[in-house]
Amino acid sequence: MVDLLKASGLCGGYGDVQVLHDVALTVKAGEIVCLIGSNGAGKTTLLRVLSGMAKSTAGSILFADQDLRGLPAQEIVRRGIAHVPEGRRLFAGMTVRENLLMGSYLRGDGRAVINKDLDFVLATFPKLAERLHQDASTLSGGEQQMCAIGRGLMANPTLLMIDELSLGLSPKLVGELSKALTEINRAGQSILLVEQDVATALRLASTGFVLDTGRIVLSGPSNELVANPSVREAYLGMTAA
Amino acid sequence: MLYVQILINGILLGGLYACIAVGFSLVWGVLNVINILHGSFIVLGAYLAFFAYTGLGIHPYLFAPFAALVLFMLGYAVQLTVINRVIEAPVLVTLTTTFGLALLLDNLMLVVFAANFRKVSLKPPLGVIDLSDTFPSIDLIVPVDRLASMLFALVFVALLYWLLRHTVVGRAIVAVRMDRYAATLMGVDTTKVFAVTFALGAALAGAAGALLSPIFPISPLAGTTYLGKAFVICVLGGLGSVSGALVGGLVLGVLESFGALFFGPEHSLTLSFTVLILLLIFRPNGIMGKRGFV
Repeated sequence: MVDLLKASGLCGGYGDVQVLHDVALTVKAGEIVCLIGSNGAGKTTLLRVLSGMAKSTAGSILFADQDLRGLPAQEIVRRGIAHVPEGRRLFAGMTVRENLLMGSYLRGDGRAVINKDLDFVLATFPKLAERLHQDASTLSGGEQQMCAIGRGLMANPTLLMIDELSLGLSPKLVGELSKALTEINRAGQSILLVEQDVATALRLASTGFVLDTGRIVLSGPSNELVANPSVREAYLGMTAA
Repeated sequence: MLYVQILINGILLGGLYACIAVGFSLVWGVLNVINILHGSFIVLGAYLAFFAYTGLGIHPYLFAPFAALVLFMLGYAVQLTVINRVIEAPVLVTLTTTFGLALLLDNLMLVVFAANFRKVSLKPPLGVIDLSDTFPSIDLIVPVDRLASMLFALVFVALLYWLLRHTVVGRAIVAVRMDRYAATLMGVDTTKVFAVTFALGAALAGAAGALLSPIFPISPLAGTTYLGKAFVICVLGGLGSVSGALVGGLVLGVLESFGALFFGPEHSLTLSFTVLILLLIFRPNGIMGKRGFV
């Protein structure tokens, strides 16, 4: 498979505080990659650096063979990376439909193409169709996450990055969302998933990267990571057999 | 009948007040900038209308869109060249910046236009509609100039509402207002949105200035009075929303009219600021609350 995103030697953070140290991460076209790690490991910062929302100080971010490093956020969206932020951050006071359409803000495609994508999102998350004209802030947590993911999809991204998919959601909802993501992925969508729930993350993804205090300490196919004793002990709460 | 007449006067005034406040409220809500320049922009719009009428014979109501256009361009330039440099700074810094700019503009107007009070005296005057002519039992009058000013003012407020609701630029402005970070993730260029928003605020000030030029005397230092009213209206109606400015404007207009009746016209401002203080204590989010954005 072709490398879609290839970050290497990436350093970055906020102001004078360096969070990321020499991070290397690859997402191949068509796969789901998960980025796991404990609180404060730098997962969100890495996503922010990739989407141009936080500054990088060294390294390169090759996306479709072009370096994205230093580009403004809107240019990165235009090139095909959509970032679904932690905590959903829907636009309160806008309806579900208006939120979804904000995702397609930069697209010059005609209304017909955008409506087709809207139909796809609503088919993927039928609950959103029921609440289409409701204020997004009145949605339940799970529905908000669906709306946030749908809004990301409306950018018609080559790579969809999702930060904390399961945050604050019941296991049943996480299951539903996982199923939807698998479906979207089958339709060809590449996904980079940041997740604290390591078991869910490794089940969904084919490849995993483990971030610890700003460094990638482990990476490989998900099935190998699941079997790895240090992952089992540190993130899955199982003592090594 | 007297009370109904006062109510009518208040509503006529209130429509104009809504137009005065809505741009101020928009800029405050979206940029988090308390734009002290707003009052001076209104005065500038009024002067433009005055000279357009006395010099070129263009009626202030017809001139209002042009005043809006001129102020739009001025606002865009001011935001991009000056305010944008301090936009990330704490609100006190941006407030001081706009305060300084207001001093500059006020004194510039003082030098250029002189301190004389001026007024657009429409020839012929628009007169009044006397309702007792048609309904002898109803003893009410409606001044036509105030009615026209209010209606045109409401048209501008409605245009802003439409723009925020139904255009791509408007959606971006609202998105930035609700969540700047998320809006950036959607690909919204916040710098541009800030400039357009500030320009729109200035445009509405310009239009309001032109519309009130036939009603209120124009002087280079009247800006602070309008600014004070915009401030009260924002607190009354709730910040950063068109509907809030509309409600706040009408409430203030009616309040001032009744205040003038009961306490004398010299106390109308005292009354409105008393209400402001009471609201700040008991209902700081305004009558309409904080949530509404358009």
